[in-house]
Amino acid sequence: MEEKIISIVELGKSFGDHEVLRKIDIEVEKGEVICIVGSSGSGKSTLLRCINRLERQSTGKIYYHGKEIGNAQREINEYRSRVGMVFQSFNLFNNMTVLENCMAGTRKVLHISKEEAFDRAISHLKAVGMAPYINAMPSQLSGGQKQRVAIARALCMNPEVLLFDEPTSALDPEMVGEVLNVMKELARTGLTMIIVTHEMGFARDVSTRTIFMDKGYVVEDDAPERLFTNPKNQRTREFLSRFIAG
Amino acid sequence: MTVLTAATPTTPTNSLGWMAFLAEKYSASFWQGTWLTLYVAVLGTILGFVMGYIIGIIEDIRTDPEEKGIGRLLVLAAKAVCGVYVELFRGTPMIVQAMIIFYGLRQAGVEIGILAAGVLVTVLNTGAYMSETVRAGINSIDNGQREGALALGMSPMKAMFHVVLPQAFKNIIPEMANMFLTNLKMTSVLNVIGLSELFMTAKTVGANYYKYFESYLIIAVIYFVLCFVFNRLFLLLEKRLEPKKDYVLAVEYMDNQ
Ligand SMILES: Nc1ncnc2c1ncn2[C@@H]1O[C@H](COP(=O)(O)OP(=O)(O)OP(=O)(O)O)[C@@H](O)[C@H]1O
Ligand SMILES: [Mg+2]
Repeated sequence: MEEKIISIVELGKSFGDHEVLRKIDIEVEKGEVICIVGSSGSGKSTLLRCINRLERQSTGKIYYHGKEIGNAQREINEYRSRVGMVFQSFNLFNNMTVLENCMAGTRKVLHISKEEAFDRAISHLKAVGMAPYINAMPSQLSGGQKQRVAIARALCMNPEVLLFDEPTSALDPEMVGEVLNVMKELARTGLTMIIVTHEMGFARDVSTRTIFMDKGYVVEDDAPERLFTNPKNQRTREFLSRFIAG
Repeated sequence: MTVLTAATPTTPTNSLGWMAFLAEKYSASFWQGTWLTLYVAVLGTILGFVMGYIIGIIEDIRTDPEEKGIGRLLVLAAKAVCGVYVELFRGTPMIVQAMIIFYGLRQAGVEIGILAAGVLVTVLNTGAYMSETVRAGINSIDNGQREGALALGMSPMKAMFHVVLPQAFKNIIPEMANMFLTNLKMTSVLNVIGLSELFMTAKTVGANYYKYFESYLIIAVIYFVLCFVFNRLFLLLEKRLEPKKDYVLAVEYMDNQ
């Protein structure tokens, strides 16, 4: 049996009376690239934020290598340093240069030496083609450039899993490709990723598994070739046809 | 302290003359008043800022309602205390606070000096106003900044100190400068507890010759010059803190493909 990195068991989340996630069960194995698709408001972001503990689940449990993630702040910090997140709105630190952004986590959280932190930052920035911009401030970059830096920043932590919440949705169309290419490259290196996306082509080509969510439920969880060509569920079919039509 | 000296060789004939006369004759008092005004304003403002930041940060601590531990209760208690303090000090005039704190402490048997009491009142007053400014400054920073830091594994405090506060600080600087200038002028109310800052000095000096108008005009000039100079200094500082418009491409990492 493959090693489970993350196991989500009967996860539920409500905001007041509003039940946003219901009975979610997902197991994530090493090297999987899981794309989560679904219409707006279906709870995709909330699920990702629960996995990263930016939101606390209302019910259910999350296990990391078989160990439940508790509520102690230290435990959560430690877990987050292993499970990175890339946001739709980049969230680069506006008070830091590109280089400082990429060294913040390694220096302040992992406490590695300046030299090593610098080397890591440069190598990951090179990989996303942003090394020449180390002295720039986030506000001086285009959206696509910002997102590539944000990915490099997350990679500097050597995460075991990287979560992406619609990484290309805030980008101008001509910049979507550069970010998707970086992500394709990451998938090729075997990094475990969970990606919420509206890029159906990308999900079909790159994911090893696609999850369709609707109204807080995981409706379908299957290999992309099956989910996209022969969905079992009526709602999945409707969603996909709407997507292809519109 | 100064006795009226009847036989002055040349008695001034107009206000300007009187101002020059008083300024020269009591220059030591005016210097002393200026010094005390600056001392209380600078020390009171700096300590008040520290206090305002601490309270602003405490008020920003997010507690999880599902957490039942003692930590959450402590945070809630601290928030309540801060809230009451801020309300009280923003809701009463500084001149009244000065009297209550000075005489209150004395009645309670705390032999606090006039200068210490003056600084204390200024600190408490500044802290109350600054905490609101700091809180607004923190709130003005997009929550994504904080979440970006948390997602790297930073603790909420690290996220605050490395990411949120530096950005909030930059937005708050003008308000901090404003607060200091206000304090420079507000120290004048501390004459009610007998602190010989500028206002008190003018009152004393003016009484010697019954030349109040001229005496107060002297300190008006001093206040104005102080405010003017500090204002320029702050503007310069703000200019220097402005972000650079361009950056240097690290050409050593450019690959020519
Ligand atoms: N902090 C919150 N408080 C209250 N309701 C929330 C909160 N966050 C999300 N919701 C609600 O939860 C539901 C799911 O939101 P979520 O952002 O997870 O959807 P999504 O699938 O990511 O949608 P999109 O594709 O538009 O990003 C929505 O109805 C939203 O209004
Ligand atoms: Mg979303």
